Amino acid sequence: MYRLWRIAVRDLRRNKRRSALTMIAVMLGLALVIALHSYEMGAMETSIKNNIRVETGHVQVRAESYDAEKVSLKWEELLREPQAVAAQAKALPNVRDAAPVLWGSGILNTVDESVGLRVYGVDPRAETMAPFREGLVSGAWLAPDDRSGILISWRLAETMELVVGDRISLLVNTSDELPDEAIFDIRGLYDSGIPGFDDVTVFMPLAKAQAFMRVGDRASAVVAVLDDQEDAGAVATALTAPGLEVQTWRDLNEMMLTLTESAMGILYLFYGIVMAIVAVVVANTLLMSVFERTREMGILAALGMKGRQIMGMFLMESATLGALGILLGVGLGSLAAYYLVNVGISLGDLDMSDVAGAGSGFALGNTLYGTYIWGDTVVLSVVCLVIILVASLYPAWFATRKEPIDALRAF
Amino acid sequence: MVEIRFREVARVLEIGRSEMSVIELQDVTRVYKIGEVETHALRGVNLTIDEGEFTAIVGPSGSGKTTILQLMGCLDRPTSGRVHINGQDVSRLKANKRADLRKGTIGFVFQFFALIPGLTAYENVDLPMLLAGRKRSERRERANELLEAVGLTERARHRPDQMSGGEQQRVAIARALAVDPVLVLADEPTANLDTENGRQIMEIMQRLNEDTGTTFVFATHDPRVFPFARRVVEVRDGKVAENSRHAE
Repeated sequence: MYRLWRIAVRDLRRNKRRSALTMIAVMLGLALVIALHSYEMGAMETSIKNNIRVETGHVQVRAESYDAEKVSLKWEELLREPQAVAAQAKALPNVRDAAPVLWGSGILNTVDESVGLRVYGVDPRAETMAPFREGLVSGAWLAPDDRSGILISWRLAETMELVVGDRISLLVNTSDELPDEAIFDIRGLYDSGIPGFDDVTVFMPLAKAQAFMRVGDRASAVVAVLDDQEDAGAVATALTAPGLEVQTWRDLNEMMLTLTESAMGILYLFYGIVMAIVAVVVANTLLMSVFERTREMGILAALGMKGRQIMGMFLMESATLGALGILLGVGLGSLAAYYLVNVGISLGDLDMSDVAGAGSGFALGNTLYGTYIWGDTVVLSVVCLVIILVASLYPAWFATRKEPIDALRAF
Repeated sequence: MVEIRFREVARVLEIGRSEMSVIELQDVTRVYKIGEVETHALRGVNLTIDEGEFTAIVGPSGSGKTTILQLMGCLDRPTSGRVHINGQDVSRLKANKRADLRKGTIGFVFQFFALIPGLTAYENVDLPMLLAGRKRSERRERANELLEAVGLTERARHRPDQMSGGEQQRVAIARALAVDPVLVLADEPTANLDTENGRQIMEIMQRLNEDTGTTFVFATHDPRVFPFARRVVEVRDGKVAENSRHAE
């Protein structure tokens, strides 16, 4: 084996330029696939993380009859005794925090403008609100007993030309389906990093929201955040009870996950095409080499080399060429992925939730960061090598087809 | 192993080298079919080559010299008849078995030198030993010894395109002898060489034949080569026309 490999390496060195060009083709092909994979995995991971962070949490407990599409405020569709459910969730070992939330809709009015909004009644102290607390741009954070304070995003403030301390009129739907209006003081401005979320979401303390929307002590849901998202299933099972619907982040992001899965399918097809092109380049190089070296095959056969050894030698040539190209490709691809992971690609004001349609759940933020998974790079490299070897079978087999005397006649 | 045992047996039985046949062709025919056309390259050749012989197979182009050499070298199989190498019938051996036999038993010298381009003279000589699985130190010693024997020690690191035709053919001879074969087959070894280089090649082959006892069979139509042969087999129209031994 080692002897064949040595001969194969000697052959590769013979036509350095051709070997180098083939290697570059492998390198560029694999680097492209690795970089693209990092980008796509980053988009997927970022989107899921952001959605969990600002929208869904890891586990949600709702009343079984709750209609999320309609943002229902009907008493019978809301969660009874949400504080008790939250306490039960918090008592579970894998749960970092859990808090009730009330979701409503409303219209924010200023002298010049009106804009439709989602109104979230939240527990300002809850861990689920950490991303917004940390993203407070100016002003102060809400106190739980604040009866007139509201938080809006700095993006909305800019659009509506509002600043901290301004008073706004907020019209909301209530549980009896009659609108109610109240004046609120803007306590602070937040930035979650997700333009699609920030543009349409305002926060007020849960107690105030419950009173304003006339839902008593009920809530839309209890949102729980976990230390490890993989524990979501176990937590959901623990919280399951009659009359309740418990959903994990997977259920809550189902549409996004489905869309991502189909996008990955197309992407894998693209990877396959790129690798097939690379493999054809290698196979073509090998076939040229076989044609050029017909008489050498005759000499080697005369010296006692068997057909399978000749085939093995050519396969080793392509494997060596492929492996070197793959090593360089992994290097270049990883470098590109490093850039994507650490610097990212700025999306500016473009938000994929706007592009993909409301509710698609593509919360990508202003900058898209890549994700680098070593295991995936190894799998992609191995698949690339296998495709190269499979494509090399024909030229390698072709090299063994000639009888030694026929090969020697090429002199 | 086969040839070593063969030599040991020969020594024990005190049988003279010339009495042991290395190759035996029995009523061998070879017909090539190209489309519907059949070409009878050999028409019933009977020929025995003994160990240690230095034999020239002569005859005009197309007479069947090269075909005989190819059959002796297990590069081809006869259409009918039998070919024995060291007493073993190789006529119907499969390609892999023939390759195994060639690897340790037969060395080749071709008309167009047939060195592997890109490999140095040393590496070309090393190659058959590499294929035969010889140890590195053994290979190095043997390759250097053979290159010295053909007067190319100084050219060991040169590639074929950096050497003259005569030098390349000397490397080919060294390569043919690398695995210590029982038999060296040379097809028109001087055809592409000038008189002086042709003479040198024949002298080297003759000397190696005498020094090592290796059997040499070479096909040629070059009359300058005939005097070097101790035995001349003339082939005409696919048959052995004359079989003569020169006086020692």
